[in-house]
Amino acid sequence: MPGYKSIDRIRTVTTSTFDRLLLKGQGPIVVEFMSYGCAHCGAIEPDLQQVAEMVESTEKIFRVNIAVDRELADIYEVQGTPTLIMFLNGTVVGREEGPSPDVSNILTLVRQPYEE
Amino acid sequence: MEIKSQPAPILLFNDECGVCRKIASWVKKQVQAGPGEASIVVRPIGQDPDELRALNQGLNIWDAYGTIHLLMPDGSMKLGGEAVAEVLRNLPSTRWFTWTFAIGVFGIRPFQAILNMAYTILAGVRPVFGCESCGTPSPWVRQIRWIVKWAASLFDESHHSSPSPHFTPLPAKERPPQADHI
Repeated sequence: MPGYKSIDRIRTVTTSTFDRLLLKGQGPIVVEFMSYGCAHCGAIEPDLQQVAEMVESTEKIFRVNIAVDRELADIYEVQGTPTLIMFLNGTVVGREEGPSPDVSNILTLVRQPYEE
Repeated sequence: MEIKSQPAPILLFNDECGVCRKIASWVKKQVQAGPGEASIVVRPIGQDPDELRALNQGLNIWDAYGTIHLLMPDGSMKLGGEAVAEVLRNLPSTRWFTWTFAIGVFGIRPFQAILNMAYTILAGVRPVFGCESCGTPSPWVRQIRWIVKWAASLFDESHHSSPSPHFTPLPAKERPPQADHI
């Protein structure tokens, strides 16, 4: 898993910073609802880091740790992890549960809602 | 590399995994039954990557959840079967047989190799015992897991069937009511 351990390109948002960073944020924002104990989240982590680097000029990727911020998981009806929710100007425009760990697949998933 | 000094090795365990919690609880009991100061500190991995890095800068939270880690007082880390051997060496009730792990034959330590294999198998079968967060089971475990899940679904109507094999559903009682999504 090269690279992802040294530079974390995905910023963690919490209940207290969610409104300011996401709902009032402009442009496309992707949020990964995850937990560190979830092996599937660990499996997509290096790919998501790579995607975050690839799209950083146009999109922001954040993470919400649902083991810590359960309230946000409830608000967005998160049924499990990892769940990607795509926001555009604060509005939900896409959602994916359990993306397969593959850079091109994740890249397509995080771009598709903004191309429609 | 900055390492915080610690009096005893720290065993990190996955507190989201029932099997891991049971093993950690057994280790704690063995430590408490021993004389004097704790020979091992048992603590959950938790959810804070920075807190873990404060224990040892080389420690990554994803790796910690991936395999058993024992943080040694000298700043080194033991992983997998080596960590298990070191834990057994530090427990008063099990240290009597742990000399066997050091026996080497032509550069191979057969008892340590058996322990490494046993750890790998146990780590692989954790999903069968209800550890949904432990990831996609190995191919040889999937058949057993499928049967266990099918049997469980007969008694549990709230069972969540996920369309993706790369998804960890939350336990039924923790799931919010589902509405139509986009």
